[in-house]
Amino acid sequence: MLALFVLSSTWAQRTLTGTVTDEDGIALIGATILAKGTTSGTLTDDTGVYSLTVPSDVKILIFSYTGFTTQEIEVGTSNVMDVTLSQGLQLNEVVVTALGIEKESGSLGYSIDQLNAEEFTRARETNIVNSLQGKVTGVNVSNTSGNLGGSAKITIRGLTSLSGRNDPLWVVDGMPINNGQFVSSNSGSRITGNRDFGNGAQVVNPDDIETMSILKGAAATALYGSRAAAGAIIITTKKGESNDRGTAKVTVNSSIRWDNLFLVPDYQQDYAQGASAKYDSSSVGYDWGPRLVGQNVNSLPITGESGPLEAIEDNGVKDFFSTGMSFINNIAISDGNEKMDYRLSMSSLNQEGVLPGSELDRYSISLNAGVNHSERLKSRFGVQIIKTDSKGTGAAGANDPNVIGLGSFSSTTDPNNFDPWIDELGNQINQFDPGANNPLWIRNENKNNRDDTRILANMSLTYSPIDRLNITGKVGYDFGQDNRFLTNRKGTIQRLTGDFTVDEINSIQLNSDIIATYNFDLNEDFSVNILGGFNYNNRQRKIEGLRSNSLLVAELFAPGNAAQNVGVRDFQEQVLFGLYTSVDLSYKNYLTLTITGRNDWSSTLPLDNNSYFYPSVSTAFVFTDAFDLPGEVLSYGKLRASYAQVGNDTGPYQLDFNFLPVSTAFGQYSLNIDFPFDSRLAFGKSNTIPPNDLRPEKQSSFEVGTELKFFDYRFGVDFTYFKSENKDQILALPVPQSTGFSSFRTNVGQVNTSGIEISLEATPILTRNFKWNTLVNFSSADTKVVELAEGVDRVLIASAFNSVQVVAVEGGTFELLAIPFLRDSATNRPIINPVDGTRLAGEAKTMGSVLPDFNMGFVNSFKFGDFNLSFTIDWRKGGVMKSSTVENLQGSGLVKETLVNREGTFIDTEGVLQNADGTFRDNDVPVANAEAFWNGLSQNSIAESSIFGADFVKLREIAVFYSLPKSVLSNFGNGFLSELMIGVEGRNLALLYSKVPHIDPENSLFGSGADGFGIERSSVPSTRTIGVNLKAVF
Amino acid sequence: MKNIKLIFLSLLVIFVTNSCDEALDINTDPLVATSADPNAVLPFVIVGYSNRYVTELGTRIMDVSQHFSACFNSPRNGTTTSFLTGNTWRMYYTQVLGNLALVEADAAAAGAGNNNINAIAKIFKAKSYFELACIWDRIPFTEAIDGAAFPSPNFDDQEVVFNGVLDILDEAIALIDAIPAGGSVDVSTGDLIYEGNMDNWRRWANSLKLRVLMLIRNKDASVDGEITKVLSEPLIENNSQAAMLRYFDTPAESNAFNRLVEAFFGVSNEVQGVYAPGPVLYDMLEGDPRKDLWIFDPNAVGAPNVSTFAFQGDYATIANNVIRNDIPHIMFLPSEIDFYRAELALLGVTTEDAQAAFNTGMNNILTFWGNDIPGAQVTLDPADIEAFIAGMPAVSIDQIHEQLYLESFLRPLVSWNTIRRTGTPTLPLPPTTGISTVLKRFTYPPNEAAANVNTPANLPTDTKVWFEN
Repeated sequence: MLALFVLSSTWAQRTLTGTVTDEDGIALIGATILAKGTTSGTLTDDTGVYSLTVPSDVKILIFSYTGFTTQEIEVGTSNVMDVTLSQGLQLNEVVVTALGIEKESGSLGYSIDQLNAEEFTRARETNIVNSLQGKVTGVNVSNTSGNLGGSAKITIRGLTSLSGRNDPLWVVDGMPINNGQFVSSNSGSRITGNRDFGNGAQVVNPDDIETMSILKGAAATALYGSRAAAGAIIITTKKGESNDRGTAKVTVNSSIRWDNLFLVPDYQQDYAQGASAKYDSSSVGYDWGPRLVGQNVNSLPITGESGPLEAIEDNGVKDFFSTGMSFINNIAISDGNEKMDYRLSMSSLNQEGVLPGSELDRYSISLNAGVNHSERLKSRFGVQIIKTDSKGTGAAGANDPNVIGLGSFSSTTDPNNFDPWIDELGNQINQFDPGANNPLWIRNENKNNRDDTRILANMSLTYSPIDRLNITGKVGYDFGQDNRFLTNRKGTIQRLTGDFTVDEINSIQLNSDIIATYNFDLNEDFSVNILGGFNYNNRQRKIEGLRSNSLLVAELFAPGNAAQNVGVRDFQEQVLFGLYTSVDLSYKNYLTLTITGRNDWSSTLPLDNNSYFYPSVSTAFVFTDAFDLPGEVLSYGKLRASYAQVGNDTGPYQLDFNFLPVSTAFGQYSLNIDFPFDSRLAFGKSNTIPPNDLRPEKQSSFEVGTELKFFDYRFGVDFTYFKSENKDQILALPVPQSTGFSSFRTNVGQVNTSGIEISLEATPILTRNFKWNTLVNFSSADTKVVELAEGVDRVLIASAFNSVQVVAVEGGTFELLAIPFLRDSATNRPIINPVDGTRLAGEAKTMGSVLPDFNMGFVNSFKFGDFNLSFTIDWRKGGVMKSSTVENLQGSGLVKETLVNREGTFIDTEGVLQNADGTFRDNDVPVANAEAFWNGLSQNSIAESSIFGADFVKLREIAVFYSLPKSVLSNFGNGFLSELMIGVEGRNLALLYSKVPHIDPENSLFGSGADGFGIERSSVPSTRTIGVNLKAVF
Repeated sequence: MKNIKLIFLSLLVIFVTNSCDEALDINTDPLVATSADPNAVLPFVIVGYSNRYVTELGTRIMDVSQHFSACFNSPRNGTTTSFLTGNTWRMYYTQVLGNLALVEADAAAAGAGNNNINAIAKIFKAKSYFELACIWDRIPFTEAIDGAAFPSPNFDDQEVVFNGVLDILDEAIALIDAIPAGGSVDVSTGDLIYEGNMDNWRRWANSLKLRVLMLIRNKDASVDGEITKVLSEPLIENNSQAAMLRYFDTPAESNAFNRLVEAFFGVSNEVQGVYAPGPVLYDMLEGDPRKDLWIFDPNAVGAPNVSTFAFQGDYATIANNVIRNDIPHIMFLPSEIDFYRAELALLGVTTEDAQAAFNTGMNNILTFWGNDIPGAQVTLDPADIEAFIAGMPAVSIDQIHEQLYLESFLRPLVSWNTIRRTGTPTLPLPPTTGISTVLKRFTYPPNEAAANVNTPANLPTDTKVWFEN
């Protein structure tokens, strides 16, 4: 490295300086200056001044600024080049499209959003998916819990698949990467003690991202083929560049962050733990005890001592969930010239979570390097090695002793008394009940460890045998080794004999493309770009594991120490070949027609029907250029339209009828039995009838949009309307189980999506010292299940406890199915049980869409001199969610609303009673007490009382930064420091509006790996993050 | 140099495209089989059935017939959840009947040497359809397990199912009779119930026939001739012939009653006070030697009311002698036959000695719980058994029905049938029930209803099933 450093400093160079202003002489801050034909470049500072050291043979500098005409100016003998840019005659922003091809945005016939580096490094998110919240149109992002390293789910333009294939394709530097999220084999379920170990793409280091393009429609993703049927997210990592002085550029970016609970439930503090108004020291998490009046009790919770019974503020959750800390550090060194560029980046993320015993350490090393061997031959190489170790991931759901939710605390129990949790002999102590676990034992003695190694590597070679013809070969490799280790220490109540689970999940993806491009001009007006390519993609996943129970020696996790060991093994592989082509026809640079075609051959389809072709056509028309319209009001106008078809394959091994070796006989409450049982092996048939003649899925989509800029680019509108039809879905269609099977895999059904996306961007104030930029994003996506199959009204998407399910409903959408109150159909009032005055349960029905009607994001940034302030607000409108945490908080008398009618009987006046003749009258049967009322609301699996609108408005992000002026920096040691920025940043700061009481409405049980939207149960509470950041560039 | 690169690239393309077909032919799961030995399928069927049965019906509906005072997520108040109904339905149809159909078909194709396998599959099939009809009344039967011919099977009346079950059992018995001497395949590994003893399977088939006929007789006395006939066939006559699946005191091979206690509460039902006896059962056991075997009540506080768990007060609990890891899943005991014999004799259907049959039944059931049941922690002295029986009043119909209720302890479906058939004992309604009687039937699982247009509308869960009067 040192050698390179020295080498890079020794070429003949000159330093060019100057000021970039607009026609009024106002300095343009952040204008880009590039030395043509090199990778050297810089930005103007807050006074419009730049300084750029370039090789002495550089002939031309390119000056550009958003909304202004780009100028190429020849370098003369003077080292001072002051430039005046005029406000834009064209908007030639370059965006990264499918296959990493950079195109001018004006030529695109479809909508693309692109985020640049600063969006990821300002208020850095540890999961990059969350960085997208509110900032782009067409996407729906939800983070699922407060677990360190937990997953975030992203969907683009609604849901198109009934079989869970709704995740966009992630591509890093041309290499598709795995964004999966797997469930550990200890439960095989996302609802039983689910550990959310995160989605695969979260390992990408935010500091390494140069751009992220969100390809939303099928026309945008057409060249990626079927794998991008749900959209694609294209990440380009930073390449090497030298600093202003033409030497190695070193960037240091460090943050310290503090996390605490985002929300604390409104715990009631007036009544003690217990039942039927009687105090019970063992009744932690069930506060239907007596009113707190300063009474003394013989046995205080946990300690068993006598003393006064007192309320603990917020039930002590702020003590139990301690303040989390994160240290995020990145150092990157880069350099580059016309011959080569390289960037080496090292990052560390060290976190301690709010959940006791939870921690995560992630170290990333990445290298991105390229060499221009000659004018005809270029090569690039990139690798990212990411190692993540996490401990103490929280469990969510139910039927697992490791689940600790916000309902596990009582008004009169001080969780500090849980410490210590273990005695010298290794016994669990300080339990509130001998039959219950000390939560600190759970958190500290039971392991929830994950050790994940990820290598994302790619290399490419581009050869130009003749002018204008480029042939590029690319190979990418995504290796993931995800090792999980879960234990229940001997002595854990509910797992008294101790157990452990080992899962080693190996995922490998190999991808290669050979792409040839050729461009030529037909005449002065017409230019043509032709692309042809071949793609090979191979994905493998191997899981090996062990489930062992009944340990002899505690804390010895060897198979020989377990009375029973069950091995786990799984393997799958799929291969895809693709041939593709694209032709761009451009007329005078303002009218572009793009036609693409791709044919895929998939190993997952029948050999005689595994080939599918899909075309796309798109057009872009910059009418302001065509009609020479630019004027005072309308500065830029473009229309775009596209139509595309995409095919889609299915998962591997779904074509044959099989007998599966079975290792588990499942039972209710996860009371499972293992095979071999009594030394007998077990084989069972698959429950899905294999397909007869499976065809590829077929998606057709259509998109129109316009992009308009007004008032010299100070105000912009981007509008898109899209519509897609997704037919012939490959689905395990439920069949009557009385046929002996649960499902039949076939092509069936149709899901349509349509919606609009509007992005408004404005610079309302722009003065020399003050600039205000505002961006409003609006995205709606209407997902409609047009057709399922004959006789099938709904299809199960995800199933939780107590009859709560997400289902796709024919004629409807993705909806929550749950048990409502039994209601009088005439008045819709709940029918009361005449015996005890509580509400009766009805038949399960759909309770509304789990998908939002629309999402809006409000992004504002202000620049006052050297200060920058930005904030983002998210608004989600529509959709419902069912929260078992809220149900538990209410049913257990833990929260304030349960104080109403707390003592004595009362009548549920909302209800009606059925008379003998079938008519109804106002309820007159009292309920015994509030405890009976609130418990009655969820008896017999009634879910209605804990189903809420999932709308929310959140203050998602604030960042305040101060950049030291260049004038100050230049006083430090020869100006070796070119940029120094300090800031305060915060994420997930405030819930400004929500219909869900007590918890974060974004929490969900299923994680990113399933479409279990709208279902929450004992999630790890989400967190608010505040931190400070220091960034320096040398 | 340039040419070499071009040639290399061209060769690469040719190589890759030529090997496409071969590379795509990888869609065969290396970890599954295309056929399976019945000795491996039967354990999946039997253990899968048993664990689902014990965890759904065992731990959830023991309070319907009120052997237990309360169960978690119980339908005792009249509401059957989609989890209870869906899991149970799926287990019977897709896990048990779906796999047995394949076993049966393979065995039939293999010829007489596989008669034993075929018969076992048929008997378990008959038992499963019978239990389905007992739970839901009308179920898919004649059109079930044949999706190609009947993608949406129609539902048959309980009477049709019961008669069909008798036919299946007759077919099975005929197959056992036709097993070639010395020429049948070894099914001792797969047969976890009788380890290939086909004489016992014949007894179980006949015993199941009697059980079904007793329910049909409740509605239609014309089956008395068939009953007399089956009573002359080999039946389960002693505890060594009892149909049971053994569980073990080893992890993940233990009975779910105790696993539930340990998984969610802690060691031992007696300490944790999860399951308590129902008040009627508790009272009926007064003076009965089984009381000490089944109930732990050192302070003689008695049973809680229906719907109350033992831990909700300081109540009697079900003893650790019952809620233990190695308690077997009991499917058929000889005492049930004996009590049927006594009942039929008293009713004049047969000329057998009712008192003798009753006494044999009492001896069989007391000896089973006091001695023969695997893993018994508390035993009874045969002399005490004899003395207790001698001290009982002369046999009566009520007494037989009461003893049938006690005999079916820990078998939620048999006891549910008994109370629905005999009305004995009289059970109190759960205090917060939403229906007019004890639960009479389940509603159909939403998954079947959603996928099968022929699913009948649900009747209120206090609507009698066909065999009830």
